[in-house]
Amino acid sequence: MSTHPGPRARLTGGLLFWYAVLGGAIAWAVHLLAVWGVDELTCAGGRERIGALPLRAVIGAAVVLPALATVGALLAAALVWRRTSHPPEGVDERPVGRGRMAAVVAIWSNLLFLTIIVLGGIALLVLPPCLR
Amino acid sequence: MSTTAAAPAPGASREDLAALEERWGERPSLRSWFGTVDHKRIGRRYLVTAGFFFILAGLSALAMRTQLARPESRLLSPQEYNQLFTMHGTAMIFLFATPMLFGFGNFLVPLMIGSRDMAFPKLNALGYWVFLFAGLFMWASLPFGAAPNGGWFAYVPLTERTNTPGLHMDVYSLGLLFLGIATTAGSINFIVTALKLRAPGMSLNRVPLFVWAIVATAFMVIFALPALNLDNAMLFLDRRFGTHFFDPGAAGNVLLWQHLFWIFGHPDVYIIVMPALGIVSAVLPAFTRRGVVGYPLIVFAIVAISIISFGVWVHHMFATGLPRLSYSFFSAASTIITIPSGIQIFAWLATMALGRVVLKVPMLFLIGFVVTFVLGGFTGTMFALTAFDQQVTDSYFVVAHFHYVLIGGAVFPMLAGIYYWLPKITGRMYHEGLGRWAFWLVFAGMHVTFFPMHLYGLFGMPRRVYTYRSEPGWDGWNLVSTAGSYLLAIGLLLVLIGVLHAIRRGRPAPPDPWGADSLEWSTDSPPKPYNFPVLPRVHSLHPTWDEASRESMGAGATRDRILADGRRTLLTSELDGSRERVVEMPEASLQPLVLALAMLVFFTAMLVAWYPVAAVAAVAVAATIAVWLWPPRRPERELGVQP
Repeated sequence: MSTHPGPRARLTGGLLFWYAVLGGAIAWAVHLLAVWGVDELTCAGGRERIGALPLRAVIGAAVVLPALATVGALLAAALVWRRTSHPPEGVDERPVGRGRMAAVVAIWSNLLFLTIIVLGGIALLVLPPCLR
Repeated sequence: MSTTAAAPAPGASREDLAALEERWGERPSLRSWFGTVDHKRIGRRYLVTAGFFFILAGLSALAMRTQLARPESRLLSPQEYNQLFTMHGTAMIFLFATPMLFGFGNFLVPLMIGSRDMAFPKLNALGYWVFLFAGLFMWASLPFGAAPNGGWFAYVPLTERTNTPGLHMDVYSLGLLFLGIATTAGSINFIVTALKLRAPGMSLNRVPLFVWAIVATAFMVIFALPALNLDNAMLFLDRRFGTHFFDPGAAGNVLLWQHLFWIFGHPDVYIIVMPALGIVSAVLPAFTRRGVVGYPLIVFAIVAISIISFGVWVHHMFATGLPRLSYSFFSAASTIITIPSGIQIFAWLATMALGRVVLKVPMLFLIGFVVTFVLGGFTGTMFALTAFDQQVTDSYFVVAHFHYVLIGGAVFPMLAGIYYWLPKITGRMYHEGLGRWAFWLVFAGMHVTFFPMHLYGLFGMPRRVYTYRSEPGWDGWNLVSTAGSYLLAIGLLLVLIGVLHAIRRGRPAPPDPWGADSLEWSTDSPPKPYNFPVLPRVHSLHPTWDEASRESMGAGATRDRILADGRRTLLTSELDGSRERVVEMPEASLQPLVLALAMLVFFTAMLVAWYPVAAVAAVAVAATIAVWLWPPRRPERELGVQP
């Protein structure tokens, strides 16, 4: 049996790897720009609704969805870490070594980004959106 | 300069060494001095030039501290004081800290990754010349009484033409735009060099932490600097041509300046501190006799800080009246960013605890760094809390905090780096006793100067006042700060004397005086123009402690890593450092200097409103770039034409 994965598996594995590494960072960046931009611009316009939706609900969505994406990236990073724990015999150690290091970096950074998003969510529960 | 050198590596024959010397060596001449593209010479120039600007900015600080020693002093006029504190801050941030660390990076990155030069040597030379000219452009305004005077972050509407007439802030905006070209060019060069020129076998998990830090810094510069450039371009257009980007009366926005400035400004704190933290990780193994604990976690910390630093800028604007919920998102990020910084501190402490500490001068400065930086980080966390920040904003408490962060987090590691790499850079050892005196004076001077600022900041003394009336708690502590600043200056003078003493009278340095772990210590002190007779093959994170990596440069080295038949180096893959192909490197050229001079003429002409001259200079810039990029005539053999 060949130990080399097919092109489809390689593509899926590559996408999963990069989602694990960058998913949390991108989700947090989207979260920050969305919550800050929506809150500041809406409040500056003297409104507390965006269309039919209350501002708090929109900001809440900008907290929950990136948080879920970050949890997904965290799980993907854990999967990469597990898969690089016991590489098969005869495999080049360099890609496995740097893959494992990337997985460690990804697990910790996704945890960090998730914490920041959750802290923002707690603030949303406590503070009215337009209080100055 | 006579030095001891490593014996010729058995891997390269005498003929190979002669050929390499012929291809890479630069004969001493005026032309080679101005046209050099050797990363080591350029790196040394960055270090010396940044040191010169540091002296100018330091003298400005001494003048200010002398003025503030007593209440109602009249040594400096308000106008002079405004220019001095603005040039002090601007020069320390833009003309000293970043270029000094870029100097270390220039000298060390190719050596640490086992390459023969930076990826774009001519771009590297251009970066240096632009940095030099931009620094002179800004400092030259001071004797004319036209230096920037609106603070280093130049808030509008104070810095708009109606409130600050004259050339002052035009010098600021044009000078920083000019300097930005150098910083951007240098950053692109670092990224490509670290990704493409690593020695075979140096996969990402074997990259030295200093190189990780430099690459992360370079990425931060690429993403952060456009915001500052945009800000300065708009400020110049507002001031010179009457646009209204920051004028609320014409649908402009005053806070736009602050948002853009701090989108650059907070990452810039890490742009300054990050490479310095990389120096700490590079120096520590040599003086603890072991590798840094938690390599993957330090890489994580570097990556996390460089990303999160882009999401904390509003904590510089907690007093501007934005919605409190908005503050809380930035407050969360500002609090959490201390975790990766803390991880690095604990990793270094664990390295010291588990290793065998050798208390040489570089190690003393590392310990001084830990103490000072942690104190600065502690007050930094206090600023992340909106309520506290609003109480002390614009007071001397802020001045105390950022000097603890920047002197602790950048200057102490730089001084450690100067003593550590001085043997490699100059080929001479420094005087240990002189270095120890310098350390204790700098350490004591730093704390005596800046610790009292916390106190009189809390007692209500605002920053940026040229003088003050006698107030309880202000007078005595200000005098203490001034005394400390002179102590600090004497300590720094001793560092300078130590460097000059080493160059003139130091004993010759062996290739590796410390028994250190990274590749720069496996070649001569100072290195030959071609860096390595044989490009190494890397087998671990600590190549000079690893037999297989050391042997790769010795007997049995293959011709494809000697590359003596041209001015060439190896290109490798980004992730795994697998060999790809051999690339030809450019030779010395005057084009970078000519291009930088043309830019200097352009910016000077813009400053003094000689627009036709600026137009001619712009044409000269375009023409020089065209000549630079024109494809060289390649030999027929290379084009596949049969003779």
